[in-house]
Amino acid sequence: MKPPDFDYVAPTSVDDAIKALGSDAEAKVLAGGQSLIPLLAFRLAGPSLLVDLARVDGLDHITDEGDRLVIGAMTRQRRAERDPVVAERCPLLVESLRHVGHPQIRSRGTIGGSVAHADPAAELPAVVLALGGRVHVTGHSGDRTIEAEDLFQGFLSTSIEDGEILTAVEVPASGPRTGWSVVEIARRPGDYALCGALCQLQLDDAGAVVDAHLALIGVGDRPMRAHAVEAAVLGGASPVEAATLAPDGLSPGSDVHASSDYRLHLATVTSRRALTQALESAA
Amino acid sequence: MSDHAVTIRVNGVERSESVPARLTLADFLRERLDLTATHLACEHGVCGACTVLVDGETARACLLLTVQADGSEVTTLEGLTEGDELGPIEQAFWAKHGMQCGFCTPGFVLTIAEMLDDNPNPTREEIIEGLGGNLCRCTGYVKIVEAVEEAVSLRGGGG
Amino acid sequence: MSLFGASIRRKEDPRLLQGNGRYLSDIKLHGMVHAVFVRSPHAHALIRGIDSSAAAADPRVVCVLTPDDLPVGLPPLPCIDAEETTKPFNQPILATDKVRFVGEPVALVVVEGDRYIAEDIAGLVDVDYEPLPAVSTAEAAVAPDAPLVHFDSNVVDVLEYSVGDASSALAAAPHTLSERFITQRYAGTPLETRGVIVEWDEPRRGLTMWSSTQVPHSLKATLVGYLGLPENAVRVIAPDVGGAFGVKLQPYPEEIVLGLAAEQVGRPIKWVEDRYEHFLASTHGREQYHDVEVGYDDDGRILAIHDHAVTNTGAYLQRLTLVEPFIGVSMLSGPYVIEHQQLVSTVVMTNTTPLNPFRGVGHVQAAFTMERIVDLVAAAVGVDPGEVRKRNMFSKDVFPLHRGIGNVLAGEIIYDSGDYQECLRRAMAAAEWDDFRREQESARAEGRYKGIGIGFFVEETGLGPYESGRVRVEPSGQVIVFTGACSSGQGHDTVLAQITADELGVEFDDIVVVHGDTDLVASGVGTYASRSAPIGGTAVRHAAGSIKEQAIRIAAEMLEASPQDIELIGGEVRVKGSPGSSVSLAQVAGRVAPGQPLPAGVDEYTLDATDVYHPPTNTFSYGCHVATVEVDIDSGVVTLLRHVVVNDSGTLINPLLVDGQVQGGVALGIGGALLEEIVYGDDGQPLNANFMDYLVPAIGNMPEMVVEHMIVPTPLNADGMKGAGEGGAVGAPAAIANAVADAVLPFGAKITETPLGPETVYRALQDVS
Repeated sequence: MKPPDFDYVAPTSVDDAIKALGSDAEAKVLAGGQSLIPLLAFRLAGPSLLVDLARVDGLDHITDEGDRLVIGAMTRQRRAERDPVVAERCPLLVESLRHVGHPQIRSRGTIGGSVAHADPAAELPAVVLALGGRVHVTGHSGDRTIEAEDLFQGFLSTSIEDGEILTAVEVPASGPRTGWSVVEIARRPGDYALCGALCQLQLDDAGAVVDAHLALIGVGDRPMRAHAVEAAVLGGASPVEAATLAPDGLSPGSDVHASSDYRLHLATVTSRRALTQALESAA
Repeated sequence: MSDHAVTIRVNGVERSESVPARLTLADFLRERLDLTATHLACEHGVCGACTVLVDGETARACLLLTVQADGSEVTTLEGLTEGDELGPIEQAFWAKHGMQCGFCTPGFVLTIAEMLDDNPNPTREEIIEGLGGNLCRCTGYVKIVEAVEEAVSLRGGGG
Repeated sequence: MSLFGASIRRKEDPRLLQGNGRYLSDIKLHGMVHAVFVRSPHAHALIRGIDSSAAAADPRVVCVLTPDDLPVGLPPLPCIDAEETTKPFNQPILATDKVRFVGEPVALVVVEGDRYIAEDIAGLVDVDYEPLPAVSTAEAAVAPDAPLVHFDSNVVDVLEYSVGDASSALAAAPHTLSERFITQRYAGTPLETRGVIVEWDEPRRGLTMWSSTQVPHSLKATLVGYLGLPENAVRVIAPDVGGAFGVKLQPYPEEIVLGLAAEQVGRPIKWVEDRYEHFLASTHGREQYHDVEVGYDDDGRILAIHDHAVTNTGAYLQRLTLVEPFIGVSMLSGPYVIEHQQLVSTVVMTNTTPLNPFRGVGHVQAAFTMERIVDLVAAAVGVDPGEVRKRNMFSKDVFPLHRGIGNVLAGEIIYDSGDYQECLRRAMAAAEWDDFRREQESARAEGRYKGIGIGFFVEETGLGPYESGRVRVEPSGQVIVFTGACSSGQGHDTVLAQITADELGVEFDDIVVVHGDTDLVASGVGTYASRSAPIGGTAVRHAAGSIKEQAIRIAAEMLEASPQDIELIGGEVRVKGSPGSSVSLAQVAGRVAPGQPLPAGVDEYTLDATDVYHPPTNTFSYGCHVATVEVDIDSGVVTLLRHVVVNDSGTLINPLLVDGQVQGGVALGIGGALLEEIVYGDDGQPLNANFMDYLVPAIGNMPEMVVEHMIVPTPLNADGMKGAGEGGAVGAPAAIANAVADAVLPFGAKITETPLGPETVYRALQDVS
């Protein structure tokens, strides 16, 4: 279980990083490596060049832009987890980060690395999706932003083009009377969940839900936004009622950990619990 | 593929080596520097046996390429205390029988070292959460938790 | 205070805590080259040819060994517990014409450089396979038209044992019930994988092999046999071993192939198994289902049992593969008086990694099956599970108890000692059984489902045939103990020093324990089957006793007294009743140091004694686990609350270490109960051969644990020791399964298999609603 041979560069600017990526068709971005290096160890990936973004200037930042929180792609997960600005502006992200692997993983894993890896059972892609965030990417043809709804294309697959790099992740800042929760069913704490629900709800002064976000993990080839559940909640449905809609449109696969049917069932269970807890924390 | 020059401060000593890009930090420590307390048990980032401190934070040395650690400060079990002295965590593992085969132990000790630096007086729940990324196949963890609690008191915390 | 029985800190630990452990992969030798094995990616395939020319052309390659390069007529790996009826489905050293499981070694590649390069080059060896249909489950393997793993049938043996007349007794029983109980395939997965270094020793025309093994002497004998070398030309060293649990208890093909390559290569060769290989190529355990029918009366007394167990033993018989099917049925009735038993154990081959014993072999399935049955009987007759157990248990007056069942390796099963009813009583008390019942009641009222379950087991421990112990007193009075048992983390150095210190009165710190080196230790069997304390410890006790006798003879001369009047106490050899007249053990040892005339009546210039202890029969430890759980009815998730063990492994040398053995065993049992399963596709492809998907319990899975000991010494050895290494793993799955079943009892859900992952529990709940 030793990685295959490859070359390595550690550019210090975004431009150089893009140049390096463009120089080799088999180049891959290294953004912490906590998912990539296991794939290398099993020789399931065989890049000829790794372009390490860790030394690129300007990718490690947490910026409060009022109604939005912008986090540099190479910001380490642990830094974000402990950052007071993130805690205040996006508590769902902090709660989600606590479910990402273990401290030793979060100390090296990055926010952008996890989002770009797009694991369907991972928390960070789901947070960006749930909150209707977006990502900033840069490539030869310049900068662009990709809405989360358009970002995740399939299993470990995004709409980030070859030669582009993800530079920042942006999520809307949470408003007043906001509650959140992350509910996962996992065999061991810290494992990828069989199914999980990440939820953020905002109430008005009367206690009615005015903003609802729910994303599910482990139930498809990518993180899934539960629009039907959100609509039901906004329409005044209780968590129990709304959660019954969670399986709508999902067709999860079966694997050694859980069957498709069971994951669909868990979509309801985790949605119900996440909605209930988010409501409680908002109230 | 070409080798890369790296300079890493390991246990307080600056080490400059030329390494292939694919050499993991764990293999760098074990094979180049003969620091064999960093154990490899899964090589895919699950078990925590290879946990070391990189710039003061725990990291899995099997999930880090040596080239990524260029310029960093790395601490392994060998460097946690001076010479063969046993620090409070190691003393506690000895006193409480926190280890059997000893293969996972270095990773636990370093994880605990960081945990107690961050939080000198953890609750049992915090201990369990903090050690979630380290697997032990021998002890059932009972005496590892006791060892952490003992280490807290040896370090002058607790009470 | 005597050190024997004291919870003292281990000798081993400071060195390991300083980072000075020396595990196999830590060893580096001058000029060392690196090996990897080319393994089959197919579960079942013909090998049409192997083209290693591309690999061999690489200048870094030292050698490539294919089956054609092995000596002609090399016998396959032996199965030493084969019965006369067992078919010879043994593993060739390298797969020759056919591969039968994914991971089976096909060729060896040795390179200059490191493991990275070795893996690169192994990828260049081109094996031409013709895939064949494969079979991965026992049920599929016994079906008509199933692909044949070997020839004529996939059934390698059917073991049958009976006591009384089960058929008639079942027919006559007031009630019967039957059920299938399934234990999954799982494995020991020590944190340290296997690994080997071999170095050709030219002056000796032989070799030294370092291996992460539980059985260095057996490995030596195997190498001598396969390599045709003189017995004095092979040295095997087991360095620090990072866990073993049975996975390292047999010589493996890799060791033999590396041994065969040693002379040709002429330089030290290192091979360290990686985790993926470990899942494929190191032995698994357990996979066994039981179809059981029991007859019982209105009081819940079990009158008769018929059990048909089927074990999926994988692609080849390994050294002790048949222990799993044998123990699985022979120890089924555990602590219970069941007069009529008919036990059938069918051993089936499939295209999966071979089975061999690991921690709790067979007993786990036996206890799970029996303890689930007892609870079903209890529920059927409406009597408390504890009470039903008590009614069926042997009393403490029956020992020694001949159970009328035996096999080639284990001999007849004769329970040596115990008090099962007291053990049950204590465990239920420690678990606060009645209080929990009240708590369960009030939780149910809130829609929360808790359960409590018992897992009682009796376990064959202290397996023979022998173990060696040698005690040598240096002229300084310091002591070296040599043992044929060797440690994979249990603490041999500590407990054998405790025995020696107790016998000779020398300081604990003045004792060094040596093991795991066949040049230093003349004979040995190794560490498995909870045998090191009762067998290895007894050998050391006897050897130290001989030292004592020798010392008294020498001191008699020195003190001018009769040996009958001399005693050895606290490291002093003295004349009874006159404490002023004494010499130290060091002075005694000095008196027989070379360079001087020996005392009269003494004929050796050493104070050195060896005992090779052959136990008369095996010991039988037992214990009672009581688990409490909460089941999330919506998701099926089981949360462990508390786990109580009352364990009788006889006299304890070091209770702290025995606690550790039990707790660690429980954790492994929890893995088996809830988490761990090696999964194959129908095509024989492994589906979770990594630590991400194969779920070794983590700290967050652990319940609060309570371990108590009750001590009924065995009469079979001097100290009354019975062996403590495995019971934790044996009782836990039964107790947890019973607790889960108890929690879901209001729903009528059937709990009949492990692991009880959330989906399994959820499905059990769905199946009734």
